[in-house]
Amino acid sequence: MVNLPAVLGVATALFGIGLYGLLQRRSLVAMLIALELMLAAISINVIALTTLTGQDPSLGQVVVLIFVGVAAAEVAIALSLFVAIHRAAHDIDVEHLSELKG
Amino acid sequence: MSGPVLAALVAQAAPLAACVVILFWLRQRPGLAAGLAILSLTVTLGAAGYLVAAVAVPNTTVLATANWLPVAEGPGLAFGVLLDPLSTTMALVVAAVTLAVMVYSLGYMAGDPGFARYYGFLALFAWAMLGLVLASNLLQTLVFWELVGLASFLLIGFWFERPAPAAAARKAFIMTRVGDVGFLLGVLLLIRAAGNATIPDLIAAAGPGGSFAPGFTELVAALLLMGVIGKSAQGPLFTWLPDAMEGPTPVSALLHSATMVAAGVFLVARMHGLFAAAPEVMRFLLWLSVITAIAAATMAMVANDIKRVLAYSSISQLAYMLMGLAAGSVAAGFFHLVTHAGFKALLFLSAGIFIHHAHSNDMREIAGHQPGSQRAGVIGLLAGSLALAGVIPFAGYFSKEAVLAAMGEHAGTAVLALAYATAGLTAYYSFRMVFLTLRGGSAHSPAHDAGAHASGHGQGETAMAAPVLVLAALTLVLGWLGHWFAVRLSPGAEEHGALAFGAGPLTALSLAAAGIALAWLEYGRSGAPRTGFVERMPALRDFFATNWYLDRLYGATVVRLANALSRAARWNDQTVLDGAGDGFGAATVGGGRLLARLQSGYVQMYVSVLVAIMAALAAWLMGGGRLP
Repeated sequence: MVNLPAVLGVATALFGIGLYGLLQRRSLVAMLIALELMLAAISINVIALTTLTGQDPSLGQVVVLIFVGVAAAEVAIALSLFVAIHRAAHDIDVEHLSELKG
Repeated sequence: MSGPVLAALVAQAAPLAACVVILFWLRQRPGLAAGLAILSLTVTLGAAGYLVAAVAVPNTTVLATANWLPVAEGPGLAFGVLLDPLSTTMALVVAAVTLAVMVYSLGYMAGDPGFARYYGFLALFAWAMLGLVLASNLLQTLVFWELVGLASFLLIGFWFERPAPAAAARKAFIMTRVGDVGFLLGVLLLIRAAGNATIPDLIAAAGPGGSFAPGFTELVAALLLMGVIGKSAQGPLFTWLPDAMEGPTPVSALLHSATMVAAGVFLVARMHGLFAAAPEVMRFLLWLSVITAIAAATMAMVANDIKRVLAYSSISQLAYMLMGLAAGSVAAGFFHLVTHAGFKALLFLSAGIFIHHAHSNDMREIAGHQPGSQRAGVIGLLAGSLALAGVIPFAGYFSKEAVLAAMGEHAGTAVLALAYATAGLTAYYSFRMVFLTLRGGSAHSPAHDAGAHASGHGQGETAMAAPVLVLAALTLVLGWLGHWFAVRLSPGAEEHGALAFGAGPLTALSLAAAGIALAWLEYGRSGAPRTGFVERMPALRDFFATNWYLDRLYGATVVRLANALSRAARWNDQTVLDGAGDGFGAATVGGGRLLARLQSGYVQMYVSVLVAIMAALAAWLMGGGRLP
């Protein structure tokens, strides 16, 4: 039997790794990967909190499947944006993409 | 509405209507504007003539008023017309002189780009002065008094595109305003004390058995006198008048004879009952005017600008009028006002002919341009100077004699001696002017000048000559009206015959003769040095030529003080007030700059701030979610 705190701990660790990656990496692609990690951590949370607390497990699974679909779409849009940014700025380093400042 | 009241209203309405129509609709039609102005003044002259015939009967007074401003617990301020021999006679003089000046200006101002505007302002001037003369209420007098000041400001600065006339107009306006402060205060005090300001009521209240305390009457008379001093260019406030010569010459004629400066003298005559109840003020006025008369006469002795000589003579003659009034004789002072209006207008208009001819105000320049070719000018200048000097058949003799006789009865010996000395100086400087202007000696290129002008100004010269000749004839007539004035203005007072020869008239005549003889010795005879005894003393000459250093004194005191005050105000405005506004703006901009640092443009920084806030929010919610 998988216990809830362990699963939530894994999810939190995954979210922390993702957040660290999001804040640490300068490449847009790497940041997107880290963002996907955080999304995966949230999906784990959803499944764990729906199945392991004795509620209807199918609801959580449906929601997570929708998450995956949304994430796939998001990746497609994000990657195409990165290509466009790279074409315009020849760079995908966020430190160099800071034109919108006050 | 009775006939005289209607005539008085028509006399005021005609120039006002002309002024409005000219200034609004006829700016581009100079011929029509001049015609309309002259027509309106003809109407006014007719109405004034009727008024004199109807009202100038001894002891006649017509008072017609309409309530203008109700006052709590009082009869209220009623504006209207007050017709008595004094005001109607003055109205006739104003209308006649203004009409003469308007006709003359047809020639003098021909071709000026502001011709229509000029006539509009002249009509405004006439309206303001008539309103002042006929006013029944002292507050009404004050309103028109200020309008007279405005009109003279506009006309002195008529050529405002040049700096000197603009400065002279400002000086005239500001210096007379200094005195007007006193006038305004006096009127306010009177309204507070009496509840209204109707002139006969005020005079009754100030007179014997009236409700005013003697001290109050003295105070009010002194305050009103301040306005008179400014307007009539007396005492310390006269230096604006010589500078006012920057205006067109016909304007000077108007300003110096019947309007502007005469307004102050007229006010004293109008309020004579109140002034007579203030003996201390009258004594002060007597001394002030005597000193002004002799001071202005000395200044006229060294001026080389013909208009400045005439301006100083105006100050001196105005002082004579005030002397007559201060000595207690309305008839004498007002008689001199009327004769002076005639001969001073004549002098200015004839001087204008020479100036128009020679294109210079300098008497020595005029002398070099064949002054003899201007017949009307020569006649006018001679007749006017004889009247000014007080030579016997001319008007100035009779009125000056009336003033001196009134002073002989009521004033001290010292004052009388100074007044006689001034009479001698007057004769000297007026004939210095005549000889300097007419006996030029060296004539350069006479044929050229005469030819050029004869062709160009044929009709204009007629328009200029006609008023001069009429006024010259009047100088011979006006003098015989002394009896008429005495009967109507000072009924009951003992009168001085026109030809009452005694020690006084002989003294004045011999002093005038001595003055003329001295002027002839120094300027007139062939081979004369053409420099006067004063001009040979540089220190004295400079002293006289610079208005007894009064302008310099004002420059060192009043003007400097005012400048310091305006500098302080400027500092306050630019440093304190503008500084506060600028500081507020700068603080906003600086705050914006500081806050803009937050918008770094680094996505990861935004994310970390976001996360930090979310974390803090979570911690707060888990801790119970209550505000500390």
